[in-house]
Amino acid sequence: MSTTRDRVDAAIGQGLENALPELDQPDRDAVLTSGIGLDSVQIMNLVMEIEDELDISIPVDVLAETRTLNQLAERLTRMIDGDDA
Amino acid sequence: MSIFEKFAAVAEARSELAGDGPSAIATPIEAVHSATRGVIGGQEVVLAGTNNYMGLTFDPDVIQASQLALASSGSGTTGSRMANGSYDGHAALERELAAAFGWPSAIVFSTGYQANLGTLSGLAADGEYLLVDADSHASIYDGCRLSRAQTVVFRHNDPANLDRRLARLGDDARRAVVVVEGLYSMLGDQPPLEEFVEVKKKHGAWLVVDEAHSFGVFGEHGLGLSEQAGVLDDVDFIVGTFSKSLAGIGGFCVSRHQELELLRLASRPYIFTASPSPAVIAGTRVALKKIIHGQALRAQLQHNIERLYTGARQMGYRLGSETPGPVAAIILPDRATALAHWKGLLASGVYANLMIPPATPAGLNLLRISMSAAHSDEDVDRILDGLSALANEQSRPALAQAAS
Repeated sequence: MSTTRDRVDAAIGQGLENALPELDQPDRDAVLTSGIGLDSVQIMNLVMEIEDELDISIPVDVLAETRTLNQLAERLTRMIDGDDA
Repeated sequence: MSIFEKFAAVAEARSELAGDGPSAIATPIEAVHSATRGVIGGQEVVLAGTNNYMGLTFDPDVIQASQLALASSGSGTTGSRMANGSYDGHAALERELAAAFGWPSAIVFSTGYQANLGTLSGLAADGEYLLVDADSHASIYDGCRLSRAQTVVFRHNDPANLDRRLARLGDDARRAVVVVEGLYSMLGDQPPLEEFVEVKKKHGAWLVVDEAHSFGVFGEHGLGLSEQAGVLDDVDFIVGTFSKSLAGIGGFCVSRHQELELLRLASRPYIFTASPSPAVIAGTRVALKKIIHGQALRAQLQHNIERLYTGARQMGYRLGSETPGPVAAIILPDRATALAHWKGLLASGVYANLMIPPATPAGLNLLRISMSAAHSDEDVDRILDGLSALANEQSRPALAQAAS
């Protein structure tokens, strides 16, 4: 049985494929802006895809706090599991 | 480590845009002679990038009213609406705005930016929700940041995406404020307002329509896209600006809800700033009357819009909006081509706007032309001639493929 984190990781992979196919699955510990080189529009498109995959709405505040895809995955996992105080 | 290091990327982008002649960014305008004529780089140009949709900035009645107020009431109010900055003119303009919509309440803000900041941060508090279109203006995003509400972005002009997000909120959708614009100023496109209204009603959410670029332009009385689409009865709040069709500076929020008045006690961008100067208020009151009765101006503007859209498309240009409107955003394949177009149009005597990422949606490079009711047929000819000369220098298939 897959965990929430597995589902989130898969959704991020699918989101990357849909929104940024040219990236070819980047390092998920790299900083989205300076490390991977995404601009704010690209990040927003990626997030929209991930939201659709997981059927959730990600508040803007959550995005402001996350700098890497793995940080985003961890935060979304907590959000979905409901222990996001 | 300098605190200025973080600006390196934007400084580099600015220097890439620099070169011979006037800058495309913060272009110095040496003189303005009318709503449609100015001097840039020592040359008289047609102004076609000034959001002056109704062309009222040099209207004699607007100017006279401002001059009289300047002489009778002084150059500034030197204070907040909460303290010493509420004059008869401010209250009268609020009554006149409310009356134009047939609604009980209107609030005047000192700029259009502050109108969104003050309305959104005042309306939505901790524990409530703001759902905003992805292509929203910076003032909407900043209003969300100033609010303590949870902010979620939905796909641009996508009522189904909004529907799913409101559904996820369940009963909390009744504490959600949805924000859309009547005209998106970068691409010049309009929202499917009737569909958004249906989604909002289905979930019992609240709807704000920012008519900054559509007020004056659309609707029998120029009240905006909400009037034209026939959905005013289902819109809760309309935000607008004085600095486009109303030809001044300032902003407003009008509402069908009398309780909007309470925002005066809670909205920090309303409270903690000085009120607009008497001259601005007096000029805006006259401009508002001219807009409400401005059917002839709107017909002239529509005539100009149709000519520009049709002409640009015939040249092979791709525009940011299918539906013609007061903003024509020509989508160009890259920044260099966009800059060359901006410079080329200026050389032929037309000032437009260069718009590049990150200000633009989807990383597009745009030459943005805004039309005015004050443009003559000869002015539109000059714009079209300038574009035509540039189109002939380009490979047409390349233009047609831009951003496709």
